[in-house]
Amino acid sequence: MLVVSGLTKRHPNAPRPIFRDLNFSVLAGQTVALVGESGVGKSTLLNCIAGLETAEAGSVQIAELNMMALAEAARAQLRARSIGFVFQAFHVLPTLTVAQNIAVPLLLTRVPVAQHALRVETLLDRVGIKDFGVRWPASLSGGELQRVAIARALVHQPQLILADEPTGNLDPRTADEVLSLLLERCREQNTAALIVTHSAQVAARCDRVLTLTPDGLQGLSA
Amino acid sequence: MTLALWLIKAQFQTRFTATLLSMLAIALGVALGFAIDLINTAALTDFSRAMKSVQGEPDVVIAPRDSAASVPLAVVNRVARDPAVSVIAPVIEVRVRIIDEPATVRLIGLDVLTAPTVMPDLLPRQSAEIPGNLFDDGVYLSRALLARLKRKAGDQVTITRGDATWQTRISGDVPATRADDLIAVADIAWVQARFGPLDGVSEARIRLAANTDIETWKKSVAATLPAALIVKGAADEGARVSNLSRAYRVNLNVLALVALLTGGFLVFATQLTAVAQRSTQFALLGVLGLTPTQRMAQVLFEAIAIGIPGSALGLALGYALAFAFTRLLGGDLGGGYFSGSAPTIAAAPLSILIFFALGCAASLIGAAYPAWLNRTQPLAAALKTGFAHRPPRAHKRRCILLGVLALVALSLSQAPAIAGLPFAGYAAIAVVLVMGITAAPLATHVLFSHLSRYNLPPAQRIAVQNVAQAPLMAQVAASGLIVSFALTVSMITMVSSFRVAVDTWLDEVLPAPFYARSKATPLPQAALDALMRPDAPFAKRESAAFSSLTLDPSMPAVALLVRELNRDDPGARLPFTGPVITSPSGQTVVWVSEPMAELYRVVPGQQLRLPLLGRDTDVFVGGVWRDYARQFGSVVISRSDYEKLGGRFEPTDLALWPLAGQDAAAKNWLADYVKRYALEFSESAEIRRLSLSIFDKSFAVTYALEAASMMIGLFGLAVTLAASVWLRARELATLSALGFDRAMLTRAVMFEGLMIASIGLAIGLACGIAVGALLTHVINPQAFHWRMQLHVPWLVVSIGAGLTLLAGLGASRFAARQTTLLPAARVLGGVQ
Repeated sequence: MLVVSGLTKRHPNAPRPIFRDLNFSVLAGQTVALVGESGVGKSTLLNCIAGLETAEAGSVQIAELNMMALAEAARAQLRARSIGFVFQAFHVLPTLTVAQNIAVPLLLTRVPVAQHALRVETLLDRVGIKDFGVRWPASLSGGELQRVAIARALVHQPQLILADEPTGNLDPRTADEVLSLLLERCREQNTAALIVTHSAQVAARCDRVLTLTPDGLQGLSA
Repeated sequence: MTLALWLIKAQFQTRFTATLLSMLAIALGVALGFAIDLINTAALTDFSRAMKSVQGEPDVVIAPRDSAASVPLAVVNRVARDPAVSVIAPVIEVRVRIIDEPATVRLIGLDVLTAPTVMPDLLPRQSAEIPGNLFDDGVYLSRALLARLKRKAGDQVTITRGDATWQTRISGDVPATRADDLIAVADIAWVQARFGPLDGVSEARIRLAANTDIETWKKSVAATLPAALIVKGAADEGARVSNLSRAYRVNLNVLALVALLTGGFLVFATQLTAVAQRSTQFALLGVLGLTPTQRMAQVLFEAIAIGIPGSALGLALGYALAFAFTRLLGGDLGGGYFSGSAPTIAAAPLSILIFFALGCAASLIGAAYPAWLNRTQPLAAALKTGFAHRPPRAHKRRCILLGVLALVALSLSQAPAIAGLPFAGYAAIAVVLVMGITAAPLATHVLFSHLSRYNLPPAQRIAVQNVAQAPLMAQVAASGLIVSFALTVSMITMVSSFRVAVDTWLDEVLPAPFYARSKATPLPQAALDALMRPDAPFAKRESAAFSSLTLDPSMPAVALLVRELNRDDPGARLPFTGPVITSPSGQTVVWVSEPMAELYRVVPGQQLRLPLLGRDTDVFVGGVWRDYARQFGSVVISRSDYEKLGGRFEPTDLALWPLAGQDAAAKNWLADYVKRYALEFSESAEIRRLSLSIFDKSFAVTYALEAASMMIGLFGLAVTLAASVWLRARELATLSALGFDRAMLTRAVMFEGLMIASIGLAIGLACGIAVGALLTHVINPQAFHWRMQLHVPWLVVSIGAGLTLLAGLGASRFAARQTTLLPAARVLGGVQ
C-alpha cells in the first residue's frame, strides 16, 4: 500500500540530512508504529509521505503513484483520495459542525452529496458519537474531538491513514479508547496506518514498530 | 462548491462586523461612482434635450463667431439657394425683459414657414380666443413664463431691451417647451424690427436634403463663408456640451474610483486577517486534499461574496444618492455648468453592469494578495505554528525601488495632458501613494529597530520589538492610514490653496463697493445718463459689456469682456499673472485669461486673430490675467478699442464707487433704478460671500469622500491590528503565562497601534502634501486651466492628525480587546 524507497531529506544549510535512504513499506490493513527520539525527523517523514514536504531523493508510492514525482496540486488530490490524517492537536474546523467536518473529505473527492449523510452517520456511530453531528466542535471534549478526527480520516475510505501522536493530548483511558477505535476501523476497512508515537503502549498495539534513529530505520523486519 | 459555501458562511458568521464593513466600503465606492455617472449622464441628457427643444434638430447651423454679430441676410439667401438645402430656418434670438418680471427672457423670432420643420418644439399655438392666424400679431409665451407672469392670452405685455420697447399682446402659448423654459416666441420680422439686427439674423438652422453628406457639405459651405461665421454640426454641439463639464466629471469619477479602491483596501485588510486567523484551518484543508489553487480560490470566493452584495447595495445606494444630489445640488453637483437643471435620473443597463463589475473587481483585487499568501503558505509549518511571517525585505532593494518610483512620479508630473485631461497627473498621484506604502516597512523597521535599543518598560519593549520585526502587518496596518490620510491632506491642501487663491482674486476683481447688472440685456440709456448726472452720489463708475466668441465649434465659447479700463494701465483692474506688455502704437490690445492662454496656447506679446464684430481682427495680446470665473477662457478689450473697431458698447454691468461717506445715500439713490429696470444690485462683500459659498458647495462631494476615506483607513488599522494580535496569539499567550497581566498586554498592543498610526500619519502627511502639490500644480492647470500657489492649512492638518491619532488609539483599543479575549490556556495547549 505504502512503499518508501531511498527517501532522503535535508534541511537547507544543515550539515547532515535529517534522514537518508529510508526504505520500508506498509501493507493494506497493516498498522505500523513509527517511534524515535524527539527531533529525529518522525513528523518530517510523515510530512514527506503525505507530500506536504519534498525530499531530496527517493520515492513514496501510494496507490501506485509516486508522491514525490507529482506536482503540488496532484499531490493534494492524491492526499484527498488515498490518505486520511489524524493529528495530536485534533485540527477540527471550528466553524463547521461535526457532521460537516467529517464530510469535508467526501466533498474533496466529489462523492455525491446524497451519500454524505449515510456515510457520516455510519461513521459517527462507529466512533461512538452517534448524535454529535449537529454539534459545534467548541462544545466537545478532547476525546470527542479526536473521534471526530478519526471519523473524518476514515469517511472517504482511504488506503492509508497517517497519524501524528493521535493520543498525545488525551488522558490514558481516553487515549486507549481512541487508539482501539482507530486500529479497529483501519483493520475493518483494510486500511494501512502509519502512526507516529512516543507511547510504548501505542506502539505495542500496532502490527509493526519502526524506530527512526539518526542512522536510519530499525525494526524493518518486525 | 459546497465546501466553499460552508466556509463562506462560516467566515461571514464569525467575522460579521469586518465582513459587513468591507461590504459597505465597496458599496460606498460603487454608490459614489454610480451616482456621479447617473447624475452626469442625466444632466448631459437633460441639457442636450433643453438645447434641442430650443434649437430643434437641424443638420447644420450657421452662426456668427462673435455673439454680438449676426449672420448677414445675403449669406442666408445665398445658402438657401444651395440645392442640398432642404429647409433653412433663420432665427433671431435676443435677451429681453418683460416689465413686472425680474428674470431675463429669451425672445426668439421665427419664420412661420420653416420653423415647424426644424424647430417643432418652438412652434407656438394661437389662442382660440385671439382672432387671426399664427404670427399675425403679438407674442407667444412658454407655459413657465405665463405662470410666472400670471398672464393669459389676450393680456398686454411690455417687452424691453435696453432702450427699445415693444408693447404687444399675448397671442397664445408655446406648448412643447419644457417646464422651466422662460421663452417668448414671435414672428422673426416683428423681433427684427424692434430689437434688430436689421441686416442679419442670429443663426441660420439648416435641414439638408436626404442623402447629403453633412460633413462634406459643411466643409464646402464653410469655405465660401466669411471667416467670422462658423458652420456647426450636431456632433459639434454634442462635443461642446460634453466638453463643458468633462474635466469636472472625470475629476469626480477619479475621486469615486479612489473611494472604490479604499473599499478594495478594506477587503484586503479583512481577507488578510481572515487568512491569517484561519491559516491553520486552511493548512488542514490543504493536508486533507484542497489544492493550492483551490485554497487561493476560496479566498477569492469569499471576496466576491463580499463584492456581489456590496456592489448591488452600492448600485441601489448610488441611485438614491443621485436622486438626492440632483435635488440638493442640481445636475452639476455644484459645479455650475448646468445651473438650474434638475434632471431625471435613469440608469442605463451598461452603466449598471460596469459599476457592478467595478465593485466586484475592487473586491477581488483587494483579496488577491491574501489569496496568494494562502496559496503559498507552507502547509506543515502553518499547521504547526499558524500564519508564517515573512522576514523583512532587503532595505537596499526597497530604497532603490523608492528612488525609481520617485523618478517615475516626477516624470509623470511633467507630462502634458492627454486629450485635455491630466491622466499622467492622476498616475503620478497613484505612484506617490504606492511610494508611501512601500516606504512604510522600511521606516517602521529602521525607526523601531533604533527605538528597541532604549531601555523601555516590558510592555512597550515587546511592542517596539514586534513592530520592528513584523513589517508585513505593520505595512498593512499603516498603509490604510497612509492612503486615507494622504488623500485627506491632499484634498484639504488643494481646496485650501484654491480657496485662498479665489479669496485673493476676489479682492482684485471686485475693487468697487457696489455692483449692478441688468442680467444680459443692455442697461437703459436713461439709467446710464442718470448715473452721470452731477447729483448722482458716485465718485466713479465703470461699466462693462459681455458677449462670447466661438473659436472652436467643439469647445464652449470664450467670453468677451468689453470694459471701461485704462488700456495703458490694465493692471489697475486685472490681476495679471505675468508681465503686461505695451502694444505697438495704434494696435488693438486684448488681455487673455489664464484658461484662454492654456487652451488656445496664447502668450503675451503675440498677435492673435479674433472674430470680432463679424470680421477677423488682428489684436495684440498684452498679458495674461487670472480668471477663476470662466473655465473656458475670456478676453478683455477696452471700451475705447472696441468702439474704434466699430463695436457698439452696450453695457450690462456696472461697478460703482459712492462718494466718501455716502454709501447709504448711494444705495437709496440706486434703489429706484434697481426697481424700475429690474437690475441686480450687490455689494462686493455679498458677492464675495456668495462666491465663496458656491465654491464650498462645489467641493461638498469631496468633503464627503474625505470623511469616508478616513473612516475606511481607521477601520483598516483596527482590523489589521486585531489580525496581528490573532497572528501572535501563541506569543501573547506565552507572555501571559510568563507573567504579563492583561493590562500589560493591552498596553503593549495599544502602544504598538499608536506607533503604527504615527508612522502611517507621518508618511501619509508627506504623501498628502506631495499629492496636494500635484493636484494644485498639475491636475488643476491641466483639467481646469487654473493656477494657484500651494497653501497647506497646517492648523487643520494638525487637528486632523491629532484626531486621527486619537481614533487610531481607539482602533488599537479594539485590537487590544481582542487580546484580552484570547483563551490563553487553550492557545498554549495548541503549541507543540
